[in-house]
Amino acid sequence: MSGMLERSEVIAMLATYGDREPGQVPETIDSLELAWLIHQVEQRYGVLDIGDEALARMSTVTGALDVFRALRIGSSDA
Amino acid sequence: MVSLSAKETGDADPVDSGWVDEVLLGGPEDDVCLHLGAPVTRGELRKLVAGCRQDLADAGLRRGGTVALCLPPSLAFITSLLASWQVGAQASLLDHRLTAFEVDVALQRLAPQVVVTAASAGGGPLRGFSEVAGRVDRYPGKAAATSHAVIQLSSGSTGPSKVIGRDAASLIEEVKRYTLIDGIPRGGERIVSLASMVHVLGLVGGLLYSLHAGVNLTIPARTTADGILSTVAASDQPTTLLGVPFHIELLASVLEPPRLPQLTGMTTGGELVRPDVYDMFTERYGVRLGNMYGMTEAGVLATDLFGRHRPSLTPAPGITFREQDGELHFALPASPYLGEQDPRRWSDGWLHTRDAGTVDPRTGLIRVLGRRDSQVSVGGLKVDLTEVEHTLAALPEVAGVVVVCDHAIEAYLVLAEGCELPAVERQIATRLAPYKRPRRLHLVEQLPRTATGKLVRSHAALRDADPDPSPAPPAAGADGAR
Repeated sequence: MSGMLERSEVIAMLATYGDREPGQVPETIDSLELAWLIHQVEQRYGVLDIGDEALARMSTVTGALDVFRALRIGSSDA
Repeated sequence: MVSLSAKETGDADPVDSGWVDEVLLGGPEDDVCLHLGAPVTRGELRKLVAGCRQDLADAGLRRGGTVALCLPPSLAFITSLLASWQVGAQASLLDHRLTAFEVDVALQRLAPQVVVTAASAGGGPLRGFSEVAGRVDRYPGKAAATSHAVIQLSSGSTGPSKVIGRDAASLIEEVKRYTLIDGIPRGGERIVSLASMVHVLGLVGGLLYSLHAGVNLTIPARTTADGILSTVAASDQPTTLLGVPFHIELLASVLEPPRLPQLTGMTTGGELVRPDVYDMFTERYGVRLGNMYGMTEAGVLATDLFGRHRPSLTPAPGITFREQDGELHFALPASPYLGEQDPRRWSDGWLHTRDAGTVDPRTGLIRVLGRRDSQVSVGGLKVDLTEVEHTLAALPEVAGVVVVCDHAIEAYLVLAEGCELPAVERQIATRLAPYKRPRRLHLVEQLPRTATGKLVRSHAALRDADPDPSPAPPAAGADGAR
């Protein structure tokens, strides 16, 4: 898992929307936050190819992390 | 095919239907008027609308009849709406994100004769539009009681939603108002719209104005930053982005946007973005960033499309404002509300916006200072915290509740004896659309009250009442992405 996106990184990226503290980021991710998160990840790792079903699973921080890890986002061999 | 009897057609003057062809659908056959994944010419749109009109007629919809549209943004929504108006029927627009429970309540209240829903699930999170077909069903409703062309529900400040009606003349007047505003795209140009077309900004400012003015209305397939900018880049036509403040923030955060010589500006409705976000957007894209102020009741009311008067706005042509006890009112000859009238919302030819604001007596510029009631904006969608609070309070598992909004909607709950949080979460997921749901549920032993017993709504006092400030697990399905 070395190099893969960590939960704290996902929360930190979500927290940049609306200038929140990481502790203010809820577990659920709404559609605006999802667009924000995808953009933050794309800026860092390039444009993502994520289908509708995978996006639908990204309604929580845990779900988003699962999808990013399945795509090996952040891994050097991604 | 079953036609409605004379008794069912009601006494209201039927909605005038000629305006659809005259104001919206006219123009050259090969003019590309829409782009939802693929270009749609006016000729093609007219044929699609005619086909849809036949489907509605087959379901019994007639002049003076009523139809409810519960469709995601889609070509099916556009054609169903235009076809309903061509028939001369009254169309109620229901946000597709409403839960089945909310739709049932709305249908019982609106009593349409026909309901159009999506025949299949065709969308997904971050889809700008859905590729769905409309499914037309009869519903045991009533003919139109008024001559309104469109009915919309708005989250009410107390009790149930407000029902707002606008007749064809009001819609035409607003479309023509847009034509008089400097900075609005003209024929031959393009609007890339990120605003929901079931709400007034995307509906009139995007769809109806574009059809009227010969502007190409394009909806991005994906509403990510990359999806939006790729859509802008895909055509050489001069392009204006239309969205809500979130989209400014999203696009402003793009560190190295592509060169977009076709992008002429961006216009958003809703609250102002922070000055640093405004500066970042205008620096990165080198185009104007404008703001509009409007309401479902009458559409666009004031604009500052070039950011010249920020944070003030110029009243739109034909709109007269007054400041009454610190609240903005604008002249509107008739109440737009159906059902029981509330003089606190409309009286003597003035619509009370419930927005605190000022009117500069010298320049006439207005300034909007925020809501005077419990309405908040979630990604451009209006949510009344009282509606959320009433919904939660009505649950048998809830003994007491206060709903507040800081960065997000949060609920402080006292559970009824023997009840547990998961049951509340399940109920919330069925009764409130995702964007209305509290993002955090805090369990408290008792809610803070004043010495006279009134509930305290201050964030600090509520947080103090919460023995465990870390949030309870999220409500099932509590996401805005659908």
